[in-house]
Amino acid sequence: MSRIPFKIGQPKKQIVPKTVERDFEREYGKLQQLEEQTKRLQKDMRKSTDADLAMSKSAVKISLDLLSNPLCEQDQDFLNMVTALDTAMKRMDAFNQEKVNQIQKTVIEPLKKFGSVFPSLNMAVKRREQALQDYRRLQAKVEKYEEKEKTGPVLAKLHQAREELRPVRDDFEAKNKQLLDEMPRFYNSRLDYFQPSFESLIRAQVVYYSEMHKIFGDLTQQLDQPGCPDEQRERENEARLSELRALSIVADD
Amino acid sequence: MTSHGDDALSSRTGAPGGDDRLSEDRSLLQQRLAVRELLDTEVSYLHVLQLCASDIRSRLQQLPQGDLDVLFSNIDDIIKVNSRLLHDLQETASREEEQVQLIGNTFLEFQEELEQVYKVYCASYEQALLLVETYRKEPELQREIQGIIEAVLPQAGPSGLSFLLVIPLQRITKYPLLLQKILENTLPDASAYAVLQRATSALQDVVTNINEYKRRKEVASKYTKVEPLSLRERLARINTHTLSKKTTRLSQLLKQEAGLVPRTEDKEFDDLEEKFHWVSLCVTELKSNVAAYLDNLEAFLRFRPQDYNLEIPGGPVVQYCYLARDLQLQAFPEFKQQLEAQVWQPLCSLAKALAGPQNLIKKRLDKLLDFERVEEKLLEVGSMTYEEEAARHTYQALNSLLVAELPQFNQLAMRWLSQILCAFVTLQRDLAKQVLQRAEDSLAQLPHHHLSEPAFRKLVEDALGQTSHQLHAFQENFEKVLPPPTTQPLLPGAERQVQALLSRYGPGKLYQVTSNISGAGTLDLTLPRGHIVALLQNKDTKGNSSRWLVDTGGHRGYVPAGKLEVYHVVPTEEELRGQARPHKDSQHQTPEPTSAPVPSVPTVTQVVAVYPFVARSSHEVSLQAGQRVTVLEAHDKKGNPEWSLVEVNGQRGYVPSSFLARAPSPAPWGWSLPS
Repeated sequence: MSRIPFKIGQPKKQIVPKTVERDFEREYGKLQQLEEQTKRLQKDMRKSTDADLAMSKSAVKISLDLLSNPLCEQDQDFLNMVTALDTAMKRMDAFNQEKVNQIQKTVIEPLKKFGSVFPSLNMAVKRREQALQDYRRLQAKVEKYEEKEKTGPVLAKLHQAREELRPVRDDFEAKNKQLLDEMPRFYNSRLDYFQPSFESLIRAQVVYYSEMHKIFGDLTQQLDQPGCPDEQRERENEARLSELRALSIVADD
Repeated sequence: MTSHGDDALSSRTGAPGGDDRLSEDRSLLQQRLAVRELLDTEVSYLHVLQLCASDIRSRLQQLPQGDLDVLFSNIDDIIKVNSRLLHDLQETASREEEQVQLIGNTFLEFQEELEQVYKVYCASYEQALLLVETYRKEPELQREIQGIIEAVLPQAGPSGLSFLLVIPLQRITKYPLLLQKILENTLPDASAYAVLQRATSALQDVVTNINEYKRRKEVASKYTKVEPLSLRERLARINTHTLSKKTTRLSQLLKQEAGLVPRTEDKEFDDLEEKFHWVSLCVTELKSNVAAYLDNLEAFLRFRPQDYNLEIPGGPVVQYCYLARDLQLQAFPEFKQQLEAQVWQPLCSLAKALAGPQNLIKKRLDKLLDFERVEEKLLEVGSMTYEEEAARHTYQALNSLLVAELPQFNQLAMRWLSQILCAFVTLQRDLAKQVLQRAEDSLAQLPHHHLSEPAFRKLVEDALGQTSHQLHAFQENFEKVLPPPTTQPLLPGAERQVQALLSRYGPGKLYQVTSNISGAGTLDLTLPRGHIVALLQNKDTKGNSSRWLVDTGGHRGYVPAGKLEVYHVVPTEEELRGQARPHKDSQHQTPEPTSAPVPSVPTVTQVVAVYPFVARSSHEVSLQAGQRVTVLEAHDKKGNPEWSLVEVNGQRGYVPSSFLARAPSPAPWGWSLPS
């Protein structure tokens, strides 16, 4: 922050006390971290919801393609199963969209709004820095004249330099104070700001998954297939495969 | 075999009465002998089988287990079936009169089992023979095997293993012949006759079926595999023979398309093929859709919003992070795993199984085209070559194979497909249950868990509205921190220049240079920071709006627009007085000139002494820094502008002009000090 590219007059006196500078850097540092984290969080949230939507859409495609297969016309049982599946998928997709909308409204939008304050903050800090540089420069100038032999012209210049310095110093002090006040307040505001969003996020999951549980639970009942444990499923699948392989027309590999 | 029958008939027609009796007795005797033969041979057959299966097989240690499985195939099953057959046959011996009938019945009972068990053995027989051949090529091994066999069954002779392995084949084909022998010696009107006849033809069917099964299996294994051939390999395979085959097929197909030649319509097969086609479509589509679903799931799991740290120590944010982490580490990976095992893998296996039938269908069509051409030729020429005959057989074999097994395939595939879909649904339900459990636990910890969903949504909306205002306030506050002031108090000599520019262009056109400009081109100006210029044009001749044409009061030229800032001229006392409305500077106090009565001489101006000055003569007057003075004349009697006539503290005198300056410009504008 205190990087001066060209050493155009460095004042001898430490015009900003080290503690003040340290405080400022600490507070600003925290905010910079927060900025980064909220930005990335927002991006990730958005990508996560996009992926969620994509997943739901591909689930709908499964049942849609099945429904359009001519087998449905021939086999009533198959048709019934596929129709029930399709209905379930479409309903789930609708609920998913609702969930995503809610997340968009209560999590992503607020994150964005929070993030939009940072450019103003960063600009303000830059301007403080500019003010500091000007302050330093003019302070150095004053010190330079103070050290010289006190002739008339020198005194005149010294006076002028002091006149120039005064408003600039006042300006810096004012900026510094304001930022040192505002920054911690802004930082702390995150505590109250984000809690509702995340509460909303959890609730949205509960709403969605309750529906999902109900819909697929009903469907499982309807399809009349007992839920079997994993090992039994595995055996079933192996049995089906052996049945097929027993046919001569199926190649052995 | 039939000679006996002839003898029986001739003797019957030859000698009436007692001769009948004699021939009857003879047939009866023959019959009994045949029955005896059946039973005896069955006993010895079974004995040999058992020796092979136990003694010989166990001693053939040097052969790998896989080989033994191929060689001996399902000999144990055969032994089981034949043991029971023998037992039942032996039981019939106790019931003399009905024995033949009972034998017939027994065979009818065992028909199915015999077919099932022997067809397996026969189908692998060819492969077994191949193995035997390879052993023969190794003299050492061959000798060992021979030694073992001779020790157990010396009657096997020099051909040892192959002699033994063919025995079951010989036996199953012998049954019809043995039964036939008994039949011939049975009276046609006996009750046993019909039964025995049925049994004989049944066993004949068994043999036929076994042969057919073997042929189908051979054809299927020849055509089901598609070898992944490289282009070069494909090209290498092309010879005149294959080329002619293919071109012939193609021309046949074209002839059909053109209607020149009737196509062999086989509605039954076409329907089957169509259904198979739909089943394949279903499987492949489902497989690719599930793959897409899994990809999306994977993508979804890649994002971890819970990993970002907002440094919020408690509350819903933390709850959410726990929940999300839990879901991502446990619930979802489990779901994905199960999906892969119970939906994806089976689909892959099912899809792979499609390849066999697909190839056979294709091959059948090829052979059909060959077959049709052969039929044509037959009509024209009246005969066909051996090759052509073989083509016809192959087509027929393929066709019957497919007609027999495609329906089964379709049915099995559909059944499996349904099971897979059910698995998919069940897994979704289970995932929902897992997530819901965890999410509800989190919900219970939240501050507003008791609220209904609509009430909560309203609450959140309100809360967000409020905080949005708060954020806006923050933003505004930050925006109030403005750029640092760039105006410098003007050097005294510049005063005039500014006045001149002001009077010529007006206050709105004045700009101050914010940092040193060094001009590059001939028309570009070089100006120090703080210099005042007037804007002539806010773009150059080429239309570039970042290069402005300005007037410095002496020179005109171009300067970069970014280094200029609007310059607000401090109004003179006159202007202040002249203005009807007050100056809207709500900021730092503008040093408003007091209403000290000053004679309204146009050239009189209020200035401030910048530097102290000590008068050295009575014409001069002393100054203190910061003192306000009134300028009466901005030059001396000789017109030298370096001296000005001023009045200060009631005294008049000359002072150096350069020691004077306008009143300092107001405090940095635009900055509002916090209240």
